[in-house]
Amino acid sequence: MKKRLFTCMAAAALSSMALTPVLAATYTPADVKASFDPYAQGMPSFKGLTVGMTINQSNVDQFKAVLAPVVYNVIKNGWNTITVGPTQDIKLTQGYIKATLDNLNKTSLAKDSDNLIGYVAGRPFPGEPDPKDPRAGTKIAWNFQHGLSWGDNGTIDPFVMKYIDMNTGKVQRTLQLEYHTLNLMHRVDYAPIPEFLPNPAEIFRTIYIKVRSPSDLRNTQLLIQRYDDDSKPDTSYIYLGFQRRVRRLAPGQTTDAFLGSDLMIQDFEGFNDRISAMNWKYLGTKDILYPFYAHTELKNLDPADYPGLKEGFKFTSLGGKADCFPQVTWQLRKVYVLEATPVDKSSPIGKRIIYQDAQTTKMSITGIYDRKGKLWKAWLISNSDPDHHLPSNKGSGIEIDDGFTMVDMQAMHCSIGRFQGQINPKLSPKDMFSEQYMRNTGTGN
Amino acid sequence: MRNKKGWPGAGRLAGGAVAAVAAVLWAGTAAQAGVDVSSWHLQGYYQNDTQYRMGKDQTGNTPGLSREQNTFSLSYNKGLFGGWKLGGTFRGSYNGVYDLNDTEFGRKAGGSVIFQSSAFAAGGPAPQFTSFGESPGNTEPGNPNGILAGAFPGNALHFNYNNPSAPNYNPNQGLQLIGQRWHPTHTGGVDIAVPVRPCDVDSRGCVDFGGYGDQSVSDLRFPEFNKRLDAIRELYVTRDFQLPNGQDIFLKIGRQQVVWGRTDLFRVLDVVNPVDFSRNNIYDDLQDMRYPMAMFNAVYDIGPTKWLQDSNVQFIWNAEPFRADNLGQCGQANVMLDAGCTFRGLKNLWDNGGSVSNFAGGNIATDFGPHQIGIRNVYVPDWKLSNTTFGLKFGGTSPDGSIAFSLNYLYYLSQLPSLHGNQPAVNPFTGAPPSAYTGNRLIAFDMHYPHVRLFGGSMDYQWDWAKSAVRFEGAYTSGEEFANTLSSNLYSTNNVLRTVVGIDRPTFIPFISGASTTLISAQLFYQHIFDFQRETRPFGTAGMIDWQDNVTGTLLLQGTYLNGRFHPTIIFARDFMAQANAIVPSLIYNFTNNLVVTLGANFKTAGNINRYKVTDCRACNPYPPFTAAPGQGDEDWALSGIEPLGIFRAGPFGTARREQQVFLKVRQSFGL
Repeated sequence: MKKRLFTCMAAAALSSMALTPVLAATYTPADVKASFDPYAQGMPSFKGLTVGMTINQSNVDQFKAVLAPVVYNVIKNGWNTITVGPTQDIKLTQGYIKATLDNLNKTSLAKDSDNLIGYVAGRPFPGEPDPKDPRAGTKIAWNFQHGLSWGDNGTIDPFVMKYIDMNTGKVQRTLQLEYHTLNLMHRVDYAPIPEFLPNPAEIFRTIYIKVRSPSDLRNTQLLIQRYDDDSKPDTSYIYLGFQRRVRRLAPGQTTDAFLGSDLMIQDFEGFNDRISAMNWKYLGTKDILYPFYAHTELKNLDPADYPGLKEGFKFTSLGGKADCFPQVTWQLRKVYVLEATPVDKSSPIGKRIIYQDAQTTKMSITGIYDRKGKLWKAWLISNSDPDHHLPSNKGSGIEIDDGFTMVDMQAMHCSIGRFQGQINPKLSPKDMFSEQYMRNTGTGN
Repeated sequence: MRNKKGWPGAGRLAGGAVAAVAAVLWAGTAAQAGVDVSSWHLQGYYQNDTQYRMGKDQTGNTPGLSREQNTFSLSYNKGLFGGWKLGGTFRGSYNGVYDLNDTEFGRKAGGSVIFQSSAFAAGGPAPQFTSFGESPGNTEPGNPNGILAGAFPGNALHFNYNNPSAPNYNPNQGLQLIGQRWHPTHTGGVDIAVPVRPCDVDSRGCVDFGGYGDQSVSDLRFPEFNKRLDAIRELYVTRDFQLPNGQDIFLKIGRQQVVWGRTDLFRVLDVVNPVDFSRNNIYDDLQDMRYPMAMFNAVYDIGPTKWLQDSNVQFIWNAEPFRADNLGQCGQANVMLDAGCTFRGLKNLWDNGGSVSNFAGGNIATDFGPHQIGIRNVYVPDWKLSNTTFGLKFGGTSPDGSIAFSLNYLYYLSQLPSLHGNQPAVNPFTGAPPSAYTGNRLIAFDMHYPHVRLFGGSMDYQWDWAKSAVRFEGAYTSGEEFANTLSSNLYSTNNVLRTVVGIDRPTFIPFISGASTTLISAQLFYQHIFDFQRETRPFGTAGMIDWQDNVTGTLLLQGTYLNGRFHPTIIFARDFMAQANAIVPSLIYNFTNNLVVTLGANFKTAGNINRYKVTDCRACNPYPPFTAAPGQGDEDWALSGIEPLGIFRAGPFGTARREQQVFLKVRQSFGL
């Protein structure tokens, strides 16, 4: 790590000498405090909006100002209603906050690329975005990329996904999966800190997914590796059960339908790609209703007992049109609005309008537009604070992804996901994130 | 020679399995019992695969129903004690084609055959076409067509085709001519009769070729229920041993599939397990075609190092007695390369004698007696340590993560047979016993499975500019044997290089689908035989039969609709040297989560069939002076025809050129 730090510093110095200055950032500890505690001065409010009320087709226009347009659209169409919950001040992991302070102002954006220079750990740009800064959007995106989506390691198991025809309500497919993430670098909470070594390729983060059912997809496994060097494309491998082989995925498959669902690999966790895969633009800061809640406080959890659920844990229930929407409470939260436009002009996506939660940097509301500029999909991830989730997640400081819906508003089709998220390094051991692990567990080694 | 059904090593495997289970239980006792014991996880399916062979084969016959396979498969796994896990698959199937179309592929298949003497036109000294056992080249007195009676005192150019009570009865019933399904017969080349009924109905030419070749109707109907216990398709225990340094050792012991390599369809490195081509030629998924074998499989997962992002070492030992690739028994619907017919025909020719078109002088049908030409013995390797398979693989990822690769070594017995010619035989001209034989290039063979050493490797990388993933795979083998008429034993041992390059590119093609990519996957397979021998002789080219260099290309296009529930797919494949093609369109639709229906077809085309004509060793002169042409020495003068060796030139597409099939596959899955 020291060697890499030195290399980065040296690179920064050389970069300056070559008259290609980097864009340095200057933040104070007060900025850091404000970044992690945006509600210190009080919770946001909106005229007429009260905890416990329901926003539906009839009153949605009254609250249009605090709804992301894509969410407004869903409610206006009569597809879903949302119940307002109290805004939560989420206590994030102290390791991450400490790393942010320890490495304050060490990070900057390279002038000629979207790469970070000098980044060690923590939130790279812990301050309010400057509307005058043309790269403010990129910095906000980096705060997500090096944010706390599952922290150092996370697991979703069980992970149930359904494909639903919104016109008929028919469930076309049901998949059961497991999903694991691991940060190999920039770790802040769990040993080894700050990174696993050796790691000559400098893989920063990796995701492993395994499909348990249905039978035609059983044992399909996906491994995604993202490099610390953002200019290097991700490496992805897939193990197909019927082939019993590990195959490298071609780059274009990150924007292909994932296992036939309405999701792309690029959609995972809100946004799952290199920062330099997009052109980022900061559109402003707002208070909007956001699908954050306390899982154990929800009154209408699904009573069904699914295989693999820990004792006492229940999935959130589904409702709205064709049961395409998790029935969770939404709270008024401060968000940064981003526009992300694909660099690859062959992407089926025209742009993403992303609403990033200012406190956690989660990207839980996205409007996805097609290449003609028409709203295509509503991408909504519901999140629970860790202290009101599984007992084992309590105190982890990691906002837990609890489910999702991806609504294809043009095709009238949705894919929903229901999660049991767990912050437990034992469930995401490092050897899980290798080609050989896929062969070993896929029975075709 | 071993020609009985069954598996002498079954008890050995059972013993090994008991020992493995005992070891597992011991480990469990030593560990804290019950820590990770889990319940059974069961998943299975029932599948009906109905295939219909359209149009007419080369004889003008319409084969009709060619597969009616009903398969039940159950996969299971369970956590055991001490971190061990049990897994496996049971599979049983019934192929109704042997009952529903038994005139084509069962008890009533075949009929009588005739043989050509191209020397004779109408009104000649003998008919141009004669029945089995009544060839002009038959020296038995009383033969209605014989022109050689008494020509060679003591000769044995005849066989028992008409006396059921005499030994080696070989009637003109239940026969076809080898190759008659895929190419014209009676064209001046060699024709050989082959029995096509199941071996309990007609045992002629039946012998164990290494797991097939001596199968009854019941064996063919129920292919998994046999003495090799194929119904126990996979049965293994696994365990991951964590080492203190963070590395681990993964063990998998039991009957399993080990899949090496990175390419589809082509088996360059994927040769650890033999495969069953008799199920559906090359058109089933390889995981359904491979014969799982009892193996010890250990993977030392080194993980990342300073030099590699990932690395591991795998050792495999296949302890199960030898098993060959199942090329299909003559009379089955799927006989890969038609080789099973060639083998059975030659075996019957040795055992019982038979007629051969255009043999004597290269143009007179000839009747050979028993033990003169054909396949004498089949040597299926017995179990001994040196006949088992050992493999070593080093896998890794380059330090920048861009290239994943493997280096492979395998020591194994060839899964395809080699015919060693010039075995001592009865002299058809003099009747002299085999012990008196002194010639060369006699077409009397023993079948062997030689030892092969394979050195290979594979790699893949992401080609960002082309938005593609590129795959390479290569293997260099020593020990493989090929037919070669320049050799006195009619075979030679040659080193072989096989490589495949493949490229996958998912592409948005708006007029196909705007939401999902269309997968475009192309592969090129190349094979080169080293020290290739071929020489021009008076009647043609003698030497090796295969192509010295050959290329096969495949192109797959697969679209995705209805949220991954509907996949129209088409595969094109071309064998460039054979100038033969296969086109395989299919529509795969998931009606529900568990019900998948596939409607498809496979069509083949081939160019000029004369391209497949090669020396057939009629002019190999094993019995000079009887077999010598004027001026001919100890050499093959290379009279040529399609049979019996043209199959190696025509390849799997060329030999199936008349098999145009449609199929409907319905699979209902379930989980328990």
